[in-house]
Amino acid sequence: MRYLRLFIVLACLFSLVACGSTSSSTGQHKTKLTLWYWNRSLSDDLIAQVEKKFPNIQLEPQKIGGDFRLKLQTTLVGGDGAPDIVMFNDWIAQYLPYKEYFANLYDLGAADIQKDYLDWKWNLAEAPGDKKDLIALPVDTGPTALFYRTDLFEKAGLPTDPDQVSSQLKTWEDYIAAGEQLKEKTGAYMVDSIVNVYNQELGQLPKKYFDKNENYIGDSPEIKKAWDIAVEFNKRGLSAKIDSGTDWNAAVNNGKIASFVNAVWEKQIMQDAAPDTKGKWHVASAPGGAGNVGGSFIGVMASSKHQKEAYEVIKWLMSPDNQLKNYLDVNLFPSAVGALESDKMKQKEDFYGGQDTSTVFEESAKEVPKTYFGEHYVTINSIFQDELKLVERSGKNPDKAWKDAQAQVKRELTRF
Amino acid sequence: MVGKSWISKGLTHLVLLIGVVISVFPFYWLAVMSTNTTSQILHFPPKLIFGNQLWINLKHVFANIDFLQGFTNTLIVAVISVVGTLFFCSLAGFTFAKFKFPGRNFLFVSLLITMMIPSQISFIPSFIVMAKIGWVNSYQSLIVPGLANAFGIFWIRQYCDGSVPDELLEAGRLDGCNQFRLYWNIAIPILRPALAFLGIFTFIGVYNDYLWPLVVINNPDRFTLQVVLSQLNGIYNTDYGMVMAGTLLATVPLIIIFFIFSRNFISGIADGAVKD
Amino acid sequence: MKEALGTNTNVLPVKKRSLWSEIWKNRVSYLFISPFYILFLIFGLFPILFSLYLAFHSWTGLGEMKFVGLAQFKYLLTEPDFWHSVGNTFAIWFISTIPMLFFALVIAFLLNLPLLKFRGIYRTLFFVTNVTSIVAVAIIFQSIFNNNYGLVNYFLSLFGVDPVKWLDNSVLVKFVLASMVVWRFTGYNAIIYLAGLQSIPQTLYEAATIDGANRRQTFFHITIPLLRPVILFTVIMTTIGSMQLFTEPQVLLGDSGGVGGAGMTLSLYMYNQAFIQSQFGYASAVSWALFIIIGLFSLINWKFVQRF
Repeated sequence: MRYLRLFIVLACLFSLVACGSTSSSTGQHKTKLTLWYWNRSLSDDLIAQVEKKFPNIQLEPQKIGGDFRLKLQTTLVGGDGAPDIVMFNDWIAQYLPYKEYFANLYDLGAADIQKDYLDWKWNLAEAPGDKKDLIALPVDTGPTALFYRTDLFEKAGLPTDPDQVSSQLKTWEDYIAAGEQLKEKTGAYMVDSIVNVYNQELGQLPKKYFDKNENYIGDSPEIKKAWDIAVEFNKRGLSAKIDSGTDWNAAVNNGKIASFVNAVWEKQIMQDAAPDTKGKWHVASAPGGAGNVGGSFIGVMASSKHQKEAYEVIKWLMSPDNQLKNYLDVNLFPSAVGALESDKMKQKEDFYGGQDTSTVFEESAKEVPKTYFGEHYVTINSIFQDELKLVERSGKNPDKAWKDAQAQVKRELTRF
Repeated sequence: MVGKSWISKGLTHLVLLIGVVISVFPFYWLAVMSTNTTSQILHFPPKLIFGNQLWINLKHVFANIDFLQGFTNTLIVAVISVVGTLFFCSLAGFTFAKFKFPGRNFLFVSLLITMMIPSQISFIPSFIVMAKIGWVNSYQSLIVPGLANAFGIFWIRQYCDGSVPDELLEAGRLDGCNQFRLYWNIAIPILRPALAFLGIFTFIGVYNDYLWPLVVINNPDRFTLQVVLSQLNGIYNTDYGMVMAGTLLATVPLIIIFFIFSRNFISGIADGAVKD
Repeated sequence: MKEALGTNTNVLPVKKRSLWSEIWKNRVSYLFISPFYILFLIFGLFPILFSLYLAFHSWTGLGEMKFVGLAQFKYLLTEPDFWHSVGNTFAIWFISTIPMLFFALVIAFLLNLPLLKFRGIYRTLFFVTNVTSIVAVAIIFQSIFNNNYGLVNYFLSLFGVDPVKWLDNSVLVKFVLASMVVWRFTGYNAIIYLAGLQSIPQTLYEAATIDGANRRQTFFHITIPLLRPVILFTVIMTTIGSMQLFTEPQVLLGDSGGVGGAGMTLSLYMYNQAFIQSQFGYASAVSWALFIIIGLFSLINWKFVQRF
């Protein structure tokens, strides 16, 4: 009976698999903690030191690739397999209304270390409400600044020294005027895309689409002004109309794009994208002031049986000294003031013409305004972005685009 | 006559070669990318010749992820899936094609309809099912749900329809074969090309599956290859040279497997008739 | 559809008997097809019922579910983005399916020629399109069709032609997506046809050749008719596949489907609503709409293929 053998083989394989999945207890007296993070969201070296620092803890780091948020969301709904310690990216705002899924770090003593961190950053992990809840500790930040090509600025008769650039390009209006000059003299575009301009302006605004009571305020004069400035770049032909991908790399590498405002993490991306322009870039404080885009957090799940131990671990991982190590190992720009001010942050960088760019970003990081995103920030922002894209790429009338965006938002908000 | 066949042969190869060039070009480019640095990959105009970074890129791959562990896990899951799928799908497909029984059409149509259900939306409920039966973090959750799938059954049924002669089955019945014997001794040899296709593409499907294993498996020792590979992507910037080298390394086994097993596309009947 | 399925394939003559004894007599058949239905009951049914339940609710994925009756469906019917993505999906289906299946047939036919040299190597090379990682494919197609610095535009510039905005233009982007689909799945379908061609006895071709039929005649009069069940399979699977087209637009254009959502397909729209916008109730309603569209469209295709 040949097929009988097949059945036996199959049965054996199944039992093998089944057995494999039940043997997992190893640490006898140690507290076992699991951690979800993603590549380069924490220094692996630092994670490896946890067990040395905490002899009674066995830490199992689980590096989640790709769609981290999808996995977190599914696990929270399914109610099985959640870790003890979890990281959040800048989408943390979407989880603030569901604070019951996460341990309140204030209950575990987080108030004691609050003074060590940037206020605005700390604030982003705090759930609104009568009783203060903190669902995560700050990890890295994304302070923004102006990246610009010194050679093109010089050719255009603009200043090239970072301090002078900062003082001449104080406002977005100054930036537009300089853009005209640059375009005329060099033919290059001042910004990459107006969608990016708009996002950066938003990163500087204290009031975004919602107030703390989740009322929509996206039709405020501030937002309209940000929109109008972005549109102005388009009207005057100062945008290269390229927002991402290999096209963007080519454009920054060949000098079509002379500057843009972006977060500190763009530094490494630039070095890969535009190797031919090494030494020609500098960084100055951004027109319009300090802003932030991106940055992550680390918290403890409410379902964890070892919340105290988990908190001690994340507290240690995020200590100013270790944030500095995170920066030196994987370029995570600190949120702890002590790390920000460290001399070790300040290094000359060849790609940026020997400039110590960290000082610029440090200044920006310290001045970012306190802000509130709201649960539906991503949804609403994508509506504005899509309309701006239409203005830039297919010549849609900006006034109509603004009206369409507001109408779409109204419709969207009736759904929640 | 000789001249004409020479021309038509040449023409055949020409058409095939054009197709091959279009097919292979992106794969060739993948190979090129894996031998270059990220900067070279992102450069314009792109570099279309091999660089010298392959070993460095591969070294980075092995330094960052446990490739072999991921590969082993995927192999376990894929092999079991293939064996199970081939058996259950061919048995059901053959039955649908060659036997009449009450409710057959209804059952078959409902099977087809299940294929039309968009899969993404059932992500969360599927996970809830796995959580309820305690299969989160297990290989079963990757293998069992797909074992007898509508695609495979539909395929075998269609193939059987045109290729397994009723006379042969009738003869088998007269020889005293039961239904399983008809399947095992008569249908299976004829179905070889169809099974080869189903086996190879089940293998590829499992091998390349990413989102479901990402969500269901937590234990790094059980991560499948694609899940492991996705760890290479950074949140802010990505080392494309390394990612492409890892991707290339993951693709090569599939091509070898295909090359070996695609010989079975020559059917059992033809095999007997034309020996080569 | 009953007609189509009622092929003359019964080996066992059916006598008039009571239904139950007929079922009992065929118990082995039921046993053989049962694994699919058992697995479906365990793993497939709950997700389907769950999504049906969700379609009448508003749910962000973590908070409480709120019963909203038919509101999600009403919203869907009046939502321009939904209808937009329906149109996009059909447009891409239309421009990709026919060339793809035609090329696949030609390739399979050529690969099946007797005495063809390097058959195994050709087969393998046509197959690599289906295993090349989608991340790599996205980068490559972007590099080829970029708005400013793409290979195609580079070649055009050599002839003094201005760059074409392949990805920004709402019509061209559909052709780019279709070319991606054709590229990825022609080899796959060719291999299905190749397997199907093996069931056609070589003697049939030989007899036709002796009767003076040329290659074109044998192709249309022997190959195509005998391949019909397999062609039907590919048409149905391609229909289902393109109605659920997701990966290509997502990797090439991102979650919002490019400028003005010109590359937004139904599946991507559903995914976007569920996992980006956290509108799980609405996304479930979309998935049911998608399901109905696929069902109807497959039925039409089935009837169409049966006819010729």
